[in-house]
Amino acid sequence: MDLENILTLTQKELRDARRNRWFILYTVAFAGLALALAWLALSGVGTYGLAGFGRTGASLINLVLLIVPLMGLTLGAMSLAGERERGTLLYLFTQPIAQIELLLGKFIGLALAMLLALLLGFGLSGLLIAWQGGATQAEDYLLMMLLAFILALVSLSLGFLISAAVGKSATAVGLALFLWLLLVFFGDLGLMGTAIVLRLDIDQLFTLALLNPLQLFKMAAILAIRSNLEVLGPAGTYAVRTYGSQLMVFLIAVLAVWALLPLAITHYLLGRRGVL
Amino acid sequence: MVALRKGWSIMPRRYCWPLFPLLLLLLALVPAIQAQSHGRIVTPQGEFNSLTEALNLAESGDTIEVYGGVYDEPLLLDKSVNLVGYDWPVIDGGGRGTVVKLVAPDISLRGFVIRNSGDSLAEENSGIAVEAPGAVLESNRLEDTLFGIYLREAAGSTIRDNTITSKDLPVPRRGDPIRVWYSNDVLIEDNVVNKGRDVVLWYSERLTVRNNEVSEGRYGLHFMYCDDATIENNLLTNNSVGTFLMYSRRLHLFGNTIAHNRGPSGFGVGLKDMDDAIIENNLFLDNRIGAHLDNSPREVNSIGRFAGNVFAFNDVGVNLMPSVRHNQFVSNSFVDNEEQVGIDGGGGRSQDNVWTIDGQGNYWSDYVGYDGDADGLGDVPYKAERLFENLMDQNSSLRLFLYSPAEQAVDFAARAIPFVKPQPKMMDEVPLMEPVMPEDLPAVPEASQQPMWLISLGMLLLAVFILSLATIKRSKTKERGLRLLNRQMNSDLGSTISQ
Repeated sequence: MDLENILTLTQKELRDARRNRWFILYTVAFAGLALALAWLALSGVGTYGLAGFGRTGASLINLVLLIVPLMGLTLGAMSLAGERERGTLLYLFTQPIAQIELLLGKFIGLALAMLLALLLGFGLSGLLIAWQGGATQAEDYLLMMLLAFILALVSLSLGFLISAAVGKSATAVGLALFLWLLLVFFGDLGLMGTAIVLRLDIDQLFTLALLNPLQLFKMAAILAIRSNLEVLGPAGTYAVRTYGSQLMVFLIAVLAVWALLPLAITHYLLGRRGVL
Repeated sequence: MVALRKGWSIMPRRYCWPLFPLLLLLLALVPAIQAQSHGRIVTPQGEFNSLTEALNLAESGDTIEVYGGVYDEPLLLDKSVNLVGYDWPVIDGGGRGTVVKLVAPDISLRGFVIRNSGDSLAEENSGIAVEAPGAVLESNRLEDTLFGIYLREAAGSTIRDNTITSKDLPVPRRGDPIRVWYSNDVLIEDNVVNKGRDVVLWYSERLTVRNNEVSEGRYGLHFMYCDDATIENNLLTNNSVGTFLMYSRRLHLFGNTIAHNRGPSGFGVGLKDMDDAIIENNLFLDNRIGAHLDNSPREVNSIGRFAGNVFAFNDVGVNLMPSVRHNQFVSNSFVDNEEQVGIDGGGGRSQDNVWTIDGQGNYWSDYVGYDGDADGLGDVPYKAERLFENLMDQNSSLRLFLYSPAEQAVDFAARAIPFVKPQPKMMDEVPLMEPVMPEDLPAVPEASQQPMWLISLGMLLLAVFILSLATIKRSKTKERGLRLLNRQMNSDLGSTISQ
């Protein structure tokens, strides 16, 4: 594995991202909505000197849960499948580079592009929060941005997996959107229904919730803002009691598995399928 | 006179009066000598260096002046004397028993550091234990004491301007920084209490508790069977419960700031079996539950009144146990609580509580109505009928899905398909359009904004850096093929693709 090759491909991917209208749209939408949410959360009571205790953070969690997976999944899904469709994947493989270099180069490039979008969104609304005097703890804010980046890596990795498994980029994007709906809405709604109908125990409910990387991010982000999970009721209290101070490490570790495993499968699929 | 200035003479009171003019002169010359001429002066270096000894020689009504230094003696005050400390004299209990015990009426104790009591909860080791009425405890610092100030049958006492920090123990093993037991008409004001267990008041009538700061304890203020108490202008932060009011009548809680009280109980104010409580103009900020009502009011013909309070950023603004009724809520502002009003078990029967009085209701930040005639009152009622809240009240484990987009999806479904819409759990006929902020509340300490500026700017700088990565020329590419690749990607490849 040659670092030089990876870096070159990373740079290429970044350039492609800058040209990609979807990426620009997502970035502008994320930054705009983040600013709007911060403004809304602060304007109501900011004038009374109360400022939004974690409230801005909370609405940012919601925004990240909606947009970041959408961004990661679709950009990831378009990447390999798109290049294959256009024939540029074949062209790239005629160069003296290994498959793993290509995969990592593309992944790191897109990850940097998503980091760029997150930095813009969080940075701009951070300035607004500081200007409005919103009492969000700076370290917690930074931690939340890093968690959002990890979620971006997870969704990007899942997007790559779809992209490697499916031939056409249109199919890949369709699948990615379906997976997004599943992760954002149907998974939670199903679990909610299951919890009501089957009267799930707290530990079962919590364990099932861990299957959704979005829930992992949400718990970690709330933990970052609140330093406990009691706002999530009995299940949150159960999590804190069970894992104690290791809870954050545990959540990030499971998220890391979610990021690495699909990428490894992508590598395997790409090798089996080849460039066509 | 020289002897007195050096502070080792004992002058009985009757000799003092003829010397008064001389003393006045001396006062002008030597600032160290204080106004109480008819007292005793104790210093650690002097010949006269024991508090107990000074006390033995004193008579009721005497003033004993004590100068800075450490006095390693537990003290039993059995005469009605005034003890005044200068330059923070320390009374050290040596880690055993109670440090200072007051058993005579009308003793005053000012300006001392009282530290290092025993740590036996069973013996109730205290910094200052008062067992007689009329004590005045003022401007003392209690450090490393199990119980801080303990009043037993000490009616008419005053606890003012003391700073109390408990022993550094796990919360259940700490003592109460202030405990009042069967002592009517006690005044507790301007004290600062940190890391204790409870400031707890038992079986005492007509208490006044004002301008105190209580933080990082278990119950900030805890009233048990205390009728007619006034609780005013206190700052209660980061406790498990801000203030818990139990089994009392006619308590008046007003102008307090109660913030960041969290944990499994985590109430701003808890009311249990409280009759005719008046809760006015308080700020409940970022607690788990702003106000928790359990069986209050207890009697059929009494009420509970909440007026002009602000409930902001709590997980639940006001939480009612299912059987709670006869409460009046008017002119309160409910601002961005995760759940504005919760009813445990989702009973949906808060109709017996009143949310509108004389054509005026409360402010609700999630009110979606309008004010057509611009009279500051909403033209359509505010109804709490969110489906997800309803489900959450019935099944608290569903709180796990708070903040997730699925939560909004459930509420959206309920709006789109009214078939699944729940019965409103409460209704405010005439909601206010603007929040009302009480004035002159104790301020919540705020974090500095400096790091937020820095971190945000840092994020933006990093973004610019990543953007620049895409444009810089990478000249170090060694292999020819790759250089070719690199160059082509810079120029033609992108444009061919986009065509």
